[in-house]
Amino acid sequence: MLFQRTLELAAHNQGAYEITNFIADIIKESKIHTGTCHLFIHSSASALIISDIADDSTKDTTADFMAQLAPSNINANENINNAMNAIPPAIKHAYSQNELTIPVSNGRPGIGVWHGIFLWEYKSAPIERKLTITIMGDPLHKSFRLTR
Amino acid sequence: MVHQQQLRFSTDGRGTYNITQQISDVISKSGVMTGICQVFIHHTSASLILCENADPTVRTDLDAFMKRLVPDGDSLFKHQDEGPDDMPAHIRTILTESSLSIPINKGKENLGIWQGIFLWEHRTSTYKRNVTVTVIGE
Repeated sequence: MLFQRTLELAAHNQGAYEITNFIADIIKESKIHTGTCHLFIHSSASALIISDIADDSTKDTTADFMAQLAPSNINANENINNAMNAIPPAIKHAYSQNELTIPVSNGRPGIGVWHGIFLWEYKSAPIERKLTITIMGDPLHKSFRLTR
Repeated sequence: MVHQQQLRFSTDGRGTYNITQQISDVISKSGVMTGICQVFIHHTSASLILCENADPTVRTDLDAFMKRLVPDGDSLFKHQDEGPDDMPAHIRTILTESSLSIPINKGKENLGIWQGIFLWEHRTSTYKRNVTVTVIGE
């Protein structure tokens, strides 16, 4: 069974936005019990990241690390008019993921207890983003075995 | 056809652990001949990578590179409560992968000859790590 949906996300400022509940609702709507959920962001200046939700400083520090890796004043290519704005998000994007696959177990996102799914917007100016969610799997209950 | 199974691995400090055989066993058990095997790790301080399996120094070098890229106890880090190796572990996880999808062909994982699936433990202590393997195909 296959379920796919493309959504327009409202423009956000630079930063990380949790979309876990939103994804959980779409998985519920799909009626798939066991399978996988693939998330794809149609952008090269934002990313989908699984991050720790226990302590907000984890998220802030990750942003600081990314800013250190690709500083906003980096002058990668003087021939590009908007290099100051375009290059750091492109570097951060290359170092993270714009697609993510999570298991679907018992009709819910099968992620870790401390996992949150975040949309990271790397652009400083707010911009609308398109997200495609593809859920594949079985609507029937399957036994979930624990081994080792 | 869908087969889903949870695996649990014990890790003993920072480094890479080859889990190719265990993933292969799940694929065999699923009975799927053609499809996709999706591997997902339920943690934010351990990750998954595909890496060369021939020379183990490749993986120790990767870890050495990561140690230089994301130094333990860096003064940049605000999140220090859980030890100097914790925040680097979160960043190392984001820079690598939490999920991997591998093609299945003729009932086996269709990896490159020198590719192996590794769990990368980023913390320095001993942990139990949960991995969900979902096999979808015919």
